Amino acid sequence: MTTRVNPFLIAFAALVYLFLLGPLIIIFGASVSDTSYLTFPPQGFTLHWFENIWNISAFRRTIVTSLQIAFLATGLALIIGIPAAYALNRYRIQLPGWLSTLFILPILVPEIVLGFSLLRSINVGAGFPIFMTLLIGHTLLVLPYVVRVISAALSSFDFSIEEAAISLGSPPLKTFFTIVLPNVRAGVIAAFILAFITSINDVSVSLFLTGPGISTLPIQILAHVEQFFDPTIASVSVLLMVLTVIVMAIVERTLGLTIVAK
Amino acid sequence: MSLPLSIQSVTAHYGTTKVLEDLSLDIRDGELVSLLGASGCGKTTTLRLVAGFLEPTSGTIRLGDKDLTRLPAHARNIGLVFQNYALFPHLSVRENVGFGLKQRGVASADRNRKATQMLERVGLAHLADRLPAALSGGQKQRVALARALVIEPPLLMFDEPLSNLDAKLRVDMRVEIRQLQRANGTTSVYVTHDQEEAFSISDRVAIMSEGRIMQLDTPETLYQRPANAFVARFVGFENLISMQVETREGGSVVARTADGAKLKLSAQRFGEIPDSFVLATRPDGLLVTSDPSTGGIPATLGLRTYLGRAYQYQCETGAGHLVANGPLSSPLSIGEKAWLVPVIDQCAILAPE
Amino acid sequence: MKRFAGWIMASPATLAVVIFLILPVAATISVTFTDPRGLLGPYIWYFESGFRRTVLWRTFEIAFATTVISLFVGFLTAYVVSKSPPWLKSILIVLAVFPLLTGVVVRSFAWLIVLGRNGILNNFMQWIGLTDAPVTMLYTQGAVIVAMVYLFVPLMVLVLVGVLDNIPDDLVQASASLGATPVGTFRQVILPLATPGLIVGAVLVFTASFTSYATPHLLGGDQQMVMGTFLHQRAMVAFDWAGASTIAAIMVVVTIVTVLVMTRIARRLNPMAV
Repeated sequence: MTTRVNPFLIAFAALVYLFLLGPLIIIFGASVSDTSYLTFPPQGFTLHWFENIWNISAFRRTIVTSLQIAFLATGLALIIGIPAAYALNRYRIQLPGWLSTLFILPILVPEIVLGFSLLRSINVGAGFPIFMTLLIGHTLLVLPYVVRVISAALSSFDFSIEEAAISLGSPPLKTFFTIVLPNVRAGVIAAFILAFITSINDVSVSLFLTGPGISTLPIQILAHVEQFFDPTIASVSVLLMVLTVIVMAIVERTLGLTIVAK
Repeated sequence: MSLPLSIQSVTAHYGTTKVLEDLSLDIRDGELVSLLGASGCGKTTTLRLVAGFLEPTSGTIRLGDKDLTRLPAHARNIGLVFQNYALFPHLSVRENVGFGLKQRGVASADRNRKATQMLERVGLAHLADRLPAALSGGQKQRVALARALVIEPPLLMFDEPLSNLDAKLRVDMRVEIRQLQRANGTTSVYVTHDQEEAFSISDRVAIMSEGRIMQLDTPETLYQRPANAFVARFVGFENLISMQVETREGGSVVARTADGAKLKLSAQRFGEIPDSFVLATRPDGLLVTSDPSTGGIPATLGLRTYLGRAYQYQCETGAGHLVANGPLSSPLSIGEKAWLVPVIDQCAILAPE
Repeated sequence: MKRFAGWIMASPATLAVVIFLILPVAATISVTFTDPRGLLGPYIWYFESGFRRTVLWRTFEIAFATTVISLFVGFLTAYVVSKSPPWLKSILIVLAVFPLLTGVVVRSFAWLIVLGRNGILNNFMQWIGLTDAPVTMLYTQGAVIVAMVYLFVPLMVLVLVGVLDNIPDDLVQASASLGATPVGTFRQVILPLATPGLIVGAVLVFTASFTSYATPHLLGGDQQMVMGTFLHQRAMVAFDWAGASTIAAIMVVVTIVTVLVMTRIARRLNPMAV
């Protein structure tokens, strides 16, 4: 079943992959360069810049905030998104068709507009604290991924299994946790990871929702780049990529990566 | 323990579509009743109403003295066997069978013992630690059966349990189901679209159409004496011939078809015969002959097909299009004149439509 | 009770989206219609200025160029990926997922190192003698487009591999058996069947690049202001919320119109729709 592919096309694709991965390799190189400015190939070798991340208090603080927001927003999105995805699959006849569109709205509306609008209405208008507004923004940002991935997992779930459990005497809520959830475990994990990574990397929503003492890592990186063009940024980037690799490895080991590609 | 099921005047809707209309059905203690019909006839809806996955718009459902109508599904204590088995994919075979016992608070040692016993009864004790994915279709169905039986429910319900199995296994499994059901004496509802399956396994069969029960009877009665044209066609009476009574004398009547063929029928077999009625026959019960003296229905023969035991003819008659069988010894050809003679003791009599 | 079960379960998420997304965004848009300058005052204000018109036009140009280049590059790459042997294919997919999961900031920042005055590209060009002095590449439209293409090609590849994998091999064989050359099959069978997927990918890339912030901010700076950076500048530097709201409204309209029009076209063109 092998189709012969034009060698020029293969060469082209190889160049594209070089283009895709080259810059990431450059960041790795630049992060260990023993120079006070960003350069590649690296000159000398030092881990000083990784140490430096921890010495700059703004990085320390924003890493913590980013992790807090990512965990909380992902958790909240799962708590409200899983029942929604379940309802969309289980009660399809009962619910109107536009409801599933509603849950992907946060992808359709430009993130930057969402961020600005939350600043206007929720932070300034309704007086919510910055941290809480930021959390709300991130929860909405990741909700579509949660609903979509878990819906996909539920769409291949055979609901007569749930009915079987109920007919054997298991109450509906208990059945959801003991029968339905374990069988869409892969979807829940995938949703968690996708949501977490989306939140950790977000710029456009967070941009407006930072205040005294509260900022996220990507926003801090942007601010840092404007003032210092030193390899600290490269080392932070490497940290983020390592985090991504670890997450990808976990996904690959548990579920296979095709789940993310969907 | 086993209880009678009583469904009284139940109406049900899906959204705004009415799917069951004023349906009543009484199933006696220990009896196996099949609900038989094409898809969309309401048989699965009836089962889901009894199981508690659907709520009726009106009417009541009782099991023994207990009113089930508003009881949540998990509190009904009914054993269900699903079409696609519905085994819990993340639990072992033993855990699947023990699931219902666990919900009933049976201690784990007891639970395992009972589950293992039940698995022995269906011949699967050696697979107790496997996950369902490792089983064949027939084995999965046995686990599903064991899972429903082990809770010793007063009512068992089967939703097309054999339709995902191959033909040979289907026949074996239905015998097995019947044996287990007989041995436990559990009242059972069996939903299927397969007539042979329903007739072979049931004490009584309810033939359903468009949300109503068309006839509820023993298989023998249904097969020989359908109560109406729908059931007659359903059980294979392909020819429905309108007739008028001409004379009545003593226990028998003489009736004629539209084009003059005469038939003598005895009230002893058919009971009260109305002045105008429909004579129903299967192709087997309508013989093709080239002898005009038999006094059959005159016909022009159409296409002839070979059935192995007989030839079958598509016939045009004054009473409409009929299908009749003729002997292998004397094949007739397209366009020939012939006469169709009903075999009286294979006929049924229906009220005119 | 059963009649409302679905609604009860869907309601927390529904309320969250309505209260924290629809209402705030609707509020942002609605203030542009209750402006003291009159009904379309904010929009007249926006289009009066040549600078502001240029920002909108530049954003269109960048988004359009990014979309076209990503489509072309992504489609050809996806074709090669989808025809690769299984072991290589899964590696290639992983290699495309990795950049996708790496943040926008990190990936845009990488191009600062490449395109800077003392960046890799300048050093390389001077080394091979292409130029004597460093060429200015940062803060140009080209830099923004290159970085955005870099951002979106992985997405395009993944979307299109999915599309191409869904085209049954039988169709390709049938086409060949009927006498079509490989190029003919590509043009007459594969391309038409992939078109709806191409449109979906194009919509994703166009809307994302039209509304992007980090990449134009890092690589375009103030010289190459686009709608995203302009919105941020109006809101957080100039504290002109009326202006920022107008920009936000224009972005929402462009995004939604693009999505609606293109998905409609995609649906009409989909020959495999059931």
